[in-house]
Amino acid sequence: MKTTKTTPAVPALKKKGLKPDTHITVLLSMMAFVLLLMAVLKPGSYFTISNLRSMIFQFPEYGVLSFGMMICMIAGGIDLSLVGIMNLSGVAAALIITNMGGTNASIVLGCAVALVVGAICGALNGFIIASLSIPAMLVTLCSLQLYTGLALAITGGPAINNMPDAFKNIANGSIGPIPYVLFIFIAVALGMAFIMNCTVFGNEIYFLGSNARAARYSGINTLRVTVMTHMLSGILGGISGILITSHLNSAKSSNGSTYTLLTLLIIVLGGVHPDGGKGKVMGVTLSVLLLQLIANAFTIMRAPDTFKTFVNGCLLVAALILDVVLEKRAAKKAAKS
Amino acid sequence: MADEVFLKLKGIKKSFGGVHALNGVDLEIRRGEIHCLAGENGCGKSTLIKAISGVHRVDEGEIWIEGKLCNKMNPIDAINKGIQVIYQDFAVFPNLTVAENIALNGEVKNKAKLVNWKEIHRVAAEAMAQVGAEIDPDVKLEQLSVANKQMVAICRAIINDAKFLILDEPTTALTAREVEKLWTVVRALKEKGIAVMIVNHKLDEIYQIADRLTILRNGAYVSSGPIHEYDQARFTRDMTGRDISQEKYLPKASEEEIFRVENLSLPGAFKDVSFSVHKGDVLGLTGLLGSGRGEIGEALFGIEPAQSGHIYLNGQEITIKNVADAIHNKIGYVPEDRLTEGLFMDRSILDNTIATSIRKYFHGIKLDKAAMEEATDRWIREIGVVTPSSKPAVRTLSGGNAQKVVISKWLNTDPKLFILNGPTVGVDVGAKSEIHAILRELAQKGIGIIVISDDLPELLQNCNKIVVMRDGRVAAVVDNSIEQKELSDLLMGRAE
Amino acid sequence: MNKLKTKSLLTSTQMILLYVIVAFCLVVGIRQPAFFSPATVITICRAGIFTMCFALCEMVVLISGGIDVSFPAIGCVAMYVPMYIINRVTPIDSALFAFGLAILIGLLFGLLNGFLVSILRLPPLIATLATSSIASGGVVTLLGTREFTTLPDSLQAIYNTNIITYTAPGTGFTYLLNVLFLVPVLACLGVAWMLRYTMLGRGLYAIGGDKNAARVAGFNVRRLQFFAYTFSGVLTGATAMMYTVLMHSSTTSALMGDEMIVIAACVIGGVRITGGHGGVLGVVLGVVLITLVQNNLNMLGIPTSWQTFVVGLIILLGTIITSWQAKRSSHGKA
Repeated sequence: MKTTKTTPAVPALKKKGLKPDTHITVLLSMMAFVLLLMAVLKPGSYFTISNLRSMIFQFPEYGVLSFGMMICMIAGGIDLSLVGIMNLSGVAAALIITNMGGTNASIVLGCAVALVVGAICGALNGFIIASLSIPAMLVTLCSLQLYTGLALAITGGPAINNMPDAFKNIANGSIGPIPYVLFIFIAVALGMAFIMNCTVFGNEIYFLGSNARAARYSGINTLRVTVMTHMLSGILGGISGILITSHLNSAKSSNGSTYTLLTLLIIVLGGVHPDGGKGKVMGVTLSVLLLQLIANAFTIMRAPDTFKTFVNGCLLVAALILDVVLEKRAAKKAAKS
Repeated sequence: MADEVFLKLKGIKKSFGGVHALNGVDLEIRRGEIHCLAGENGCGKSTLIKAISGVHRVDEGEIWIEGKLCNKMNPIDAINKGIQVIYQDFAVFPNLTVAENIALNGEVKNKAKLVNWKEIHRVAAEAMAQVGAEIDPDVKLEQLSVANKQMVAICRAIINDAKFLILDEPTTALTAREVEKLWTVVRALKEKGIAVMIVNHKLDEIYQIADRLTILRNGAYVSSGPIHEYDQARFTRDMTGRDISQEKYLPKASEEEIFRVENLSLPGAFKDVSFSVHKGDVLGLTGLLGSGRGEIGEALFGIEPAQSGHIYLNGQEITIKNVADAIHNKIGYVPEDRLTEGLFMDRSILDNTIATSIRKYFHGIKLDKAAMEEATDRWIREIGVVTPSSKPAVRTLSGGNAQKVVISKWLNTDPKLFILNGPTVGVDVGAKSEIHAILRELAQKGIGIIVISDDLPELLQNCNKIVVMRDGRVAAVVDNSIEQKELSDLLMGRAE
Repeated sequence: MNKLKTKSLLTSTQMILLYVIVAFCLVVGIRQPAFFSPATVITICRAGIFTMCFALCEMVVLISGGIDVSFPAIGCVAMYVPMYIINRVTPIDSALFAFGLAILIGLLFGLLNGFLVSILRLPPLIATLATSSIASGGVVTLLGTREFTTLPDSLQAIYNTNIITYTAPGTGFTYLLNVLFLVPVLACLGVAWMLRYTMLGRGLYAIGGDKNAARVAGFNVRRLQFFAYTFSGVLTGATAMMYTVLMHSSTTSALMGDEMIVIAACVIGGVRITGGHGGVLGVVLGVVLITLVQNNLNMLGIPTSWQTFVVGLIILLGTIITSWQAKRSSHGKA
């Protein structure tokens, strides 16, 4: 049994895990391309502090949501109901805040409730998916209708407006030149990176997405992991709900309707594989930034919003094709060695 | 009847990227004969089948079909020449009916545009009559048992004017009675002049059905001849290249009991099962499919727990109601289907090794990656996984090495009882003996080892005690001095 | 053996749907006896025209093992472009032109979907999501967002052709069932025939059941997938133009959000999202149930703002029930 067949001396580079990730390289080069393009076309308006600030105010909203989408897809499923959870949480928070007089205490309570609502919705998704073995796509398609409907029912139709200034400040205020939301985004990104890399739970998500049966046979509680994954993504949906309600000063069931496609695009571009088991927080973060750079470029160039939707659709196709091409190349390399 | 030669292979060689899968294979199949192709895992059986059926082109050698040289075939050519292969997964449509599954391929070949249901039913009925199958033609395939699905696949094969049918390990998922039924069908095919080649490595089954036998080893032809020219000894020698008699595992007897079950029962699976494992024992658990052998393993691991009975580990009674209980009690389980149940193919060797024991690396607030790597590297060395590091995905490993990773995963949890279901299925000869050596060493160290297997030579060589299951009950507990024929009889219930 | 068959027939998805529909009608009818009248039947038929057509599109794609969430967007483009041309470019008064162009647009986008899924092998959900944004983003960017409410004479003529006219004796209201109702009826019959009696139809089931087995059996998987998405596109285009005619409205967002209802109608009707299962009868019943629910929540006293939620709840329950049923059927081994 003690026959030495391997040389355990591992090259330092591999040990550090710093091997160049193709997705990251592609993302960085695309970011460089956009920056270069804008430097040529509209250097005056693109590279200003005010433009930078306006970008920073925008991406955390869907950036946080992207992380929610990311973990569900890595776990082997998908969550199409995130926008519904986002709006429901926002509505819940707005309801509490406006009915309790808009005091600071009510704001804190409202935000807490938003997170709880998100957690419950997510946990419900996860529970139905795991205990009844129904495909995540179908369950979350139904629950999207459910949560959006609930938000609609609560508001009675029109939006809830007139948030207190302190609340509006969350998404629209800054400390010095730096918007609060940037700190929120960084905190969430770091938190996600920590969870996915350094905790048992995060690793179990990767295992579940890689092979659910083997996960069960390895002692991983697949029901628990699924429920917790969706619950966490629901909480992230709740955070987004707070941000978007604060940003728009309005809570309604139809906010952020383009975010489902956008977050899917972001995570696929960021290296998350639709089959599950693969994806890194760094990739998704860069992808969020890249999409913001692109979106902002469109705004500066005065392209209509719908053009953005069109381009995002094309980018999604391109990202998926890229995935396929990279996989084929990696498979060829593996077969040769 | 069986005098003309249908297929003749001479000196077939085929390599994949420098590795010789086939290194000089001869084969002769006569019309209307039942021919068995035997060999250990990795001997080149599947590559040979693919060469015969046109999926692979051979590098060297000659393929003669009905007297004509046919080296440049593609799959459609092979089908047109009457060669049909039934693979282990049958390639059937679970959502379509039996009649459709049988007749649809033919309709596609005839480039039909409209569906004539009467015709489909007629074709299906005719095919089923030819093989003597009695299955409701309007049932959807997903509702059938494995044996019946296989029957449908066979019916489908013969309506295409098959002259030569290849069955790849057809008995793996069948119960004894279903195997008998299969042989009846095969004999019916022989009556019609269809040659049948059965890839199988179980000698007792080969004795039941084969006219002639060809044995391969390491991609090369070893021997061939009428079945009566082979006895147990010659068979094993030709298959493995070794004489096994000297290598039986005979540990020192020990009084120290590691594990015991008493009157374990699970309605529908097994009843009143009792046995014990002492220090140094490698306990074999065997029986035909459906006898309860696999179910006991899954019960002890908590997948489908027993409903009554007692389990004792190191003297203490324990309860196992789910997988978490089993792991908590330090029971490890290597499942039957390595690829879908045992491994995360796209993840690294490191990830696979620590998958079950990951919690023990969580100190305070985060995972200790360095410790995980150190442990994995240690197992790679000790168990002998052939790999440059712990980073590559498990997908890149051979069957034997992948199985070693599964074993490492469990050893990393410090198990007190280690159950392995079919540990050397799909594993090459070299890795097979290494795994056996590992198990013996673990047994000597005081870890209870249970090997669930239907490979009688493997059991006789490596287990000092064998529990034989039959129809859900313990039929006998024997030691490995028993003769293989006697053991086989016990399994089948032919002892008295 | 026959007793078993009868039992399984009585508990099949279609029969359960029938029970639920009957139960629902009874509940509504008890609260509102006016429910039991020809007027209701006509209203339901009228309301269900579009859902039925879209459900047929979705069903064909689902059976083949895929999914299509792009049909609302494709529909919007298909209804908008002809009206845009008629109203803003050159007034062509021809129903043939309107429908023909709509169908052509549907065909082109269907080909795009087919290309993404069968040639590039992209996951159908994401691929059709991408097509959806390409379609809706593209059309609005190029042609702006207007609402066209006036129909050219030829289309108006279709609007005016009704096959059933019913005047309620009590209220004196007139209920009209338009000739276009025949389209979903004929489409159902046509699709049912195709699925059962053509190799094309069986091929769709085959690739939905096991793509590899289908390939091995000699089916042209690519062509079949292309067909599924193209068919969906073509029927979507036609349906969208029917919408314009019957609703007197053509916008770039009219149909958006309908994916859920349509997919739910299919799933409740026994079509599995994993592919290979389902038939026209089940889908018809599913559409009937959903249309009944959507149009009668008022009668049940459910306020408008709660209706989305209630429909969502019903869809979720329906999905859970059919999934549980599907698992049950694939576990019984003969």
